[in-house]
Amino acid sequence: MATAFDPGRAWALDPQVALRSERFGALAYHFGTRRLSFLKSQKLATVVRSLADQPSGHDACLAAGVAEHEMAAYERALATLATSGMIAERPSA
Amino acid sequence: MLDPTAASPPEPEREPDPQPPAASDDALIEADLLVEDVSIDGMCGVY
Repeated sequence: MATAFDPGRAWALDPQVALRSERFGALAYHFGTRRLSFLKSQKLATVVRSLADQPSGHDACLAAGVAEHEMAAYERALATLATSGMIAERPSA
Repeated sequence: MLDPTAASPPEPEREPDPQPPAASDDALIEADLLVEDVSIDGMCGVY
């Protein structure tokens, strides 16, 4: 279920989503909604892959090397993925 | 006269490789285009 994105919370790729590496970044396919999302940067693909291992969306961005001036754009990208159900909030540890 | 290219085997069909237009990360960030959503509902007839 899609939820509003809060970068301070813990997120992960939805279990129904397959992520395929592409030259431009990655292609995400949601088997439940049959939606595709183009992740059009390698860094964003890295962020999304690392979400499950990081305590928050913001931490995942930092770990992937997202610079401070890029942060707002990457958080908006994650918000788009949350709205489409590609990523889902997970319980904090 | 024989055409030497006529005997060439046809190119094998390849799975389409989805490639959105290339752009630099900075340009994508600037334009908020890091993510592009597509629904494949209604595309069944295409294949």
